[in-house]
Amino acid sequence: MDFRPLNDTERRQLINALRGNAESDRAILMDRRDTSFAGTAEEVTDEEVISAIKSVPCHY
Amino acid sequence: MKFQALVDRASRLLQDICRPYRRSTGNLPAVRQTTAAGSLKYEPLQRVLITDGVGRTLFQEYASHRGEARGDEETGWILLGLREADEAVALATLPAGTQREASVAHIRFNSIAQALGSRIVRQCDRRLTMLGVVHTHPGSLRHPSDGDLRGDREWVKNLRGGEGVFGIGTADASSAGPTEFAFQPRPNVHCLEGLRFSWYALGIDDADYRPLPAELTIGPDLARPLHSLWPTIEAHAERIDRLYRQLAGIRFDVINDEWGPALVLMVPLATAGEAVRVVVRRKEVRYYVVHGEEVFEVQHRDDYVDRGVFLLLAELAVRT
Repeated sequence: MDFRPLNDTERRQLINALRGNAESDRAILMDRRDTSFAGTAEEVTDEEVISAIKSVPCHY
Repeated sequence: MKFQALVDRASRLLQDICRPYRRSTGNLPAVRQTTAAGSLKYEPLQRVLITDGVGRTLFQEYASHRGEARGDEETGWILLGLREADEAVALATLPAGTQREASVAHIRFNSIAQALGSRIVRQCDRRLTMLGVVHTHPGSLRHPSDGDLRGDREWVKNLRGGEGVFGIGTADASSAGPTEFAFQPRPNVHCLEGLRFSWYALGIDDADYRPLPAELTIGPDLARPLHSLWPTIEAHAERIDRLYRQLAGIRFDVINDEWGPALVLMVPLATAGEAVRVVVRRKEVRYYVVHGEEVFEVQHRDDYVDRGVFLLLAELAVRT
């Protein structure tokens, strides 16, 4: 398990996620593999973006 | 469990930052397992909002491209930004790259470098998503081609809302307009100094592209600092991306010193305030160890970034 301290960006993202949850009932996402914090419902996963990038077709 | 530790930490953070937002029970709400999709109902795009930073990148780099040795080839960019309910906000451009495959009649982007570029740009805002593609046509075809339609119709299934933003650059803008600033002869067209970008949307169920009104607003191109070192990113993308997926907490930065622009990787170590710092240039990689305020250069030459970092981590483990 990884118990390292959060860096500034991760801490800020977690605070924003908690605030969004408390204020607007916005979902907090959990990584299904290791239960770690995986962002909020507004966030987009790396996998989604990179899958789209790598599948850009040839343009003519 | 790790998640319980996270919740405990979160409880302490909440006490610091948002007492008014705490629920009456004093406990955090239960965490729901859900997915990002479905939190926003997407409607067909009504417009694309383009920041002036993104607009400048497109016009400047298109003009620059036309003066280069490969200037007769098509070029292009992918667009990252925010997908709102019925509009898209373009906030970043990732270039086709010097390792693109292109001719006067086609272009295929270097997607390995663009994937790494997306990781770097999105480290500060993980809402950024793929919006679409901009590419140029050497002639005066201001509309995506039939070949574009065949590929894009399948590809838009990968995008939020099942719809993409597509820009076509041509060098046939009317000389009748102003030369000092961009003008819009039509809602989906921007022209500047002989160059034209025409904007379209295409959804899964659309038979063809439809003109998409494009509006400019003040804002950055969040990826522009990366453009000056794009050849460096292309040269090291595969190994840096592998390293990023293997080690947690890597942060990226861009510096510009007397040796030119460089990509910086900060790999956190187990002890707070300690990190491995890697300065990556196209033909040189330098390694440093950070102890609080002190930075030590490591006499360690390895131009393969991932291997260099792992060898250095192994050396540090031996000395611990």
